[in-house]
Amino acid sequence: MIEIAPLAIGATDLATGTAPHTGAVNGLSVSLSPAEPRVRLSLRAKDVGVLSAALGRALPERIGTQLDGIARLGPDEWHALLPEGSPVPAVSGQPLSVVDVTARSVGFTVEGPGAVAALIRGCPLDLANFAPGRATRTVFETVEIQLWAMAPDRFHVEVWRSFAPWLWHSIADGIV
Amino acid sequence: MSGYRLSSGGRVDRSRALSFSFDGAGYQGFAGDTLASALVASGVTLFGRSFKYHRPRGLLATGVEEPNALVSVDRGPARVTPNVRAPQVSLHEGLVAESQNRWPSLKFDVVSINDRFSALFPAGFYNKTFMWPRSAWEKLYEPVIRRLAGLGDSPVTRDPDHYDATYAHCEVLVVGGGIAGIEAALEAAKMGSRVILIDEQDELGGAALADPALWSTLDALTAQLFAADNITVLTRTTAFGYYHQNFVGASQQLTDHLAPSEAQGPREKLWRIRAGEVVLAQGAIERPLVFNGNDVPGVMLASAGRTLALRYGVAVGRAVVIMAAHDSGWRDALALIEAGVHVAAIVDIRTVVPADLADAARAAGIALHLGSAITAVAGRHAVKGVTVAAGGTGPAHKIACDAVLMAGGWTPSVHLWSQAKGSLVWNEAWGTYLPGKPQEKCRVVGAGAGAWHFGSGAITSVLPNSLPVSRQKAFVDFQNDVKARDIQLAVQEGFRSIEHIKRYTTNGMATDQGKTSNLNALQIASGVLGRPVTEIGLTTFRPPYTPQTFGALMGHHKDALFQPVRKSVIDDWATAQGAVFENVANWRRARYFPKGGEDMDAAVARECRAVRQSVGIFDASTLGKIEVVGPDAAEFLNRMYTNPWKALQPGRCRYGLLLREDGFITDDGVSARMADDRFHLTTTTGGAPRVLGMMEDYLQTEWSDLDVWLTSTTEQWAVIALQGPRARDVIASLVGGIDLSPEAFPHMAVREGTIAGVPTRLFRVSFTGELGFEINVPASEGRKVWEAIFDAGQPYGITPYGTETMHVLRAEKGFIIVGQDTDGTMTPGDMGLDWAVGKKKPDFVGKRSLARPEMTRKGRKQFIGLLTEDPQELLEEGAQVVTNPDAPIPVPMIGHVTSSYHSATLGRTIALAVIADGRARIGETIFVPMADKVIRAKVTAPMFYDPEGSRLND
Repeated sequence: MIEIAPLAIGATDLATGTAPHTGAVNGLSVSLSPAEPRVRLSLRAKDVGVLSAALGRALPERIGTQLDGIARLGPDEWHALLPEGSPVPAVSGQPLSVVDVTARSVGFTVEGPGAVAALIRGCPLDLANFAPGRATRTVFETVEIQLWAMAPDRFHVEVWRSFAPWLWHSIADGIV
Repeated sequence: MSGYRLSSGGRVDRSRALSFSFDGAGYQGFAGDTLASALVASGVTLFGRSFKYHRPRGLLATGVEEPNALVSVDRGPARVTPNVRAPQVSLHEGLVAESQNRWPSLKFDVVSINDRFSALFPAGFYNKTFMWPRSAWEKLYEPVIRRLAGLGDSPVTRDPDHYDATYAHCEVLVVGGGIAGIEAALEAAKMGSRVILIDEQDELGGAALADPALWSTLDALTAQLFAADNITVLTRTTAFGYYHQNFVGASQQLTDHLAPSEAQGPREKLWRIRAGEVVLAQGAIERPLVFNGNDVPGVMLASAGRTLALRYGVAVGRAVVIMAAHDSGWRDALALIEAGVHVAAIVDIRTVVPADLADAARAAGIALHLGSAITAVAGRHAVKGVTVAAGGTGPAHKIACDAVLMAGGWTPSVHLWSQAKGSLVWNEAWGTYLPGKPQEKCRVVGAGAGAWHFGSGAITSVLPNSLPVSRQKAFVDFQNDVKARDIQLAVQEGFRSIEHIKRYTTNGMATDQGKTSNLNALQIASGVLGRPVTEIGLTTFRPPYTPQTFGALMGHHKDALFQPVRKSVIDDWATAQGAVFENVANWRRARYFPKGGEDMDAAVARECRAVRQSVGIFDASTLGKIEVVGPDAAEFLNRMYTNPWKALQPGRCRYGLLLREDGFITDDGVSARMADDRFHLTTTTGGAPRVLGMMEDYLQTEWSDLDVWLTSTTEQWAVIALQGPRARDVIASLVGGIDLSPEAFPHMAVREGTIAGVPTRLFRVSFTGELGFEINVPASEGRKVWEAIFDAGQPYGITPYGTETMHVLRAEKGFIIVGQDTDGTMTPGDMGLDWAVGKKKPDFVGKRSLARPEMTRKGRKQFIGLLTEDPQELLEEGAQVVTNPDAPIPVPMIGHVTSSYHSATLGRTIALAVIADGRARIGETIFVPMADKVIRAKVTAPMFYDPEGSRLND
């Protein structure tokens, strides 16, 4: 019988960081930090026009792009990341779905010349070709995330709340 | 063999001497050496013992194909890596290596007695011999075989190293950094492409490293490589797997080539590369020749002898004999002479060789034996001489020598090409398979494509000998000890396909995966069968190309990051309260809250009493939740669930039962209609992803006409279950905007308002049989609301409870837990849930299956309660139920216990079970046989407490 010593820090001990974690990946500086609070909405409709009219604003047309805080994730799916305090549109009786998921996820900001290197440690996308204006649902290793390219070398990462501690430490692990 | 360091030459840095140890003895080498080259330079001949016969073995090759020289490298406690190929170990100061598979020592090994009796250990020996008596296998044969076989030792402690991983993208990936690979990379880089060039060695150059004439070319090419800013060069990196759509896995060694004290950061890095095009430039591996005595230490590949001399400045012996079937052996002989190595003779199986080679060899003073073969090798731990016979069977004479180099021709490395499903074409001239048509965007360049300039050769099987093959020690697979006679035997015993021959003889199944043996085995089988090689088949190439560490494959998934453990927002509070946790799916949940040294039973009993008598608080946040929104929401749920949903009024809740298409229960949960076009669904904790996936599947593939959308809200809401007769009193002062009176807010209703100032969806539901609420608040506010309720509950002795108490309370009421009381073969009827099936509904998922005769036949298992005759006797969950314990074995079993608990409320044990025709047996006594006794129990309805439900509606 082989006895393996317990871990000094186990999976249940992990907590999401509250202050920026800074360092470098491949010698390029990068910081991981908690993002500002946002209002999050899951927006669904078959017809972009219906949704656009109901919200009273334009929506991004191409899947995988974002426009003023709303990303198009799929043919009938958009996701909004709006400033804290933004109202949740009250719509009913129309062929669309608006669901407030503000508390479902938390956001991280990954920023710096090493941001792409930090993210591709676990994200299979070709982030060198993921310019600002792109946004998509993807994974970091086994965990589903949304990745928004906000500016050159600055990414916003959305992750469901209970996966956040694991994701924070998994990204931070490579920033030394 | 008595190797020594040549006075000059090679790429080693003679100004930097390095000390190292092998099997406890101290040696010296130079920077740039490998463990293998430094040991050969020190005169070491014996590197290891073979797997089966424990035969003494020396170095065969200088590349990854090395089958013999497997060592354990010791980098300190918990850092011993077994089965590393000595020619792949870069020398560093203080390196500690040990040989393997020997006892008590490398020179004297007890098990090598196997070798003396090797005639008794033919192919298939284990299968044939150790079958009888059957009982001896576990106790005798297997333990003994396990002790004797095997290679290095597995680690027994945690790996203290960490490992990195990354994805990478490029337009062109070049695998192999020889000249062909470098040229391909430079060419691709000119087009502006992102290029990644990977090579398994310490330095780029491949075979050119053993050809000083090419070094200046190599230097110029590598300078261009490093000058290009769009080429990433990864050395010490092995592309081990080629997966769909040009996805290549590679592992990079980061610290193993450094002294442990200098090693910093991750040990290895996993590269997951997606490439537009893959260029394979992996070169070719030389084939050994199969002849009697070809495994005596000191017999090695000619390419290895050449590499040792020209790359490392090491002579393999003082008198070298070349056994050739290919021109390349002659070229190697001439190169060795030029490097200062004495070549005593060239023996070639061919009678005619190119005149320029023969002339040059004669001019160099080498004795030539054309049309001849080595028929025996003298020496056990090192070559002392060879016997050469004309035609193999003619007059024999002996040649004194201390090293034999084999030049059997070349086998292109088509491993990755084949993993990528590229076709292979047999080439008679080369006696091997060459790449044919690609399946992926992939091409092969250089020697790997058969484009080489090593001359030509004869294709051989076993070299001719007057001894019959069955009496020769002519090895094919050196690591697994497969001899030519084993292949012969396999064919004689009826095996025809190379896949079968491989498994019977274990040829090609060692850690080197047959890199040097597969083609020779094919030729021998072909010869014995009298059929062309192409009719015998070819074994499948599978990843990994070379053995990889688990650490490299795991990457980040180690220790605390092994996998995410999901915790609710109440988890920290529960931890502070001393909760004991359990894992449910990938969540961890508080199981019970022991106080003052209570065990689980005592804590659960106290928690149960608190809920029944006053009020308990429970974290139900992990329940799956789905928001179903759209004009067709009710229609959609009506099709998914068994019961009717269209008439449900906003503000009301309903229990929903979900079947699979086969009619069996897959999930359940209470759901609420928030508005005409909006429902709030709940699922079981473990079932959430499955249910969402199933519903999406139906929506997208069957009913894409419906205007309804599903959104997972599991993590949006923290759910606080407040259960017990005082539950309303606790929240009365906290709730705003909701009339809590029973008339205004009945059981199975939902209201929206605030609690502790936080917006809430307040459900009046109960999984305990008590008055109860499930308070949904945004997860970000969950902890705050929980604490507000906990404070408000103090006057009532509010008691936190965990999943164990929840299980007991629901069992007292006979509420099922899908997956515990059901097993994937239970219908609503089986579980007594017919009331939840809409009889008038035209359809729902599973309805058609419920109409099958099997689903309603007599004798199906039905859900019932069990009360043991001894009220303190606790049945074991999973225990089988019988009607007559005295019936002859096998006793017919009518069902099993699904849930069993002590009920503090009832002062006795209770159990739930599924048994054949259960409902018709209510009142009967059944038996539960255990190892030491038979337990008697009475069948009851699955309801032990408040059957009228009066407590719910208070």
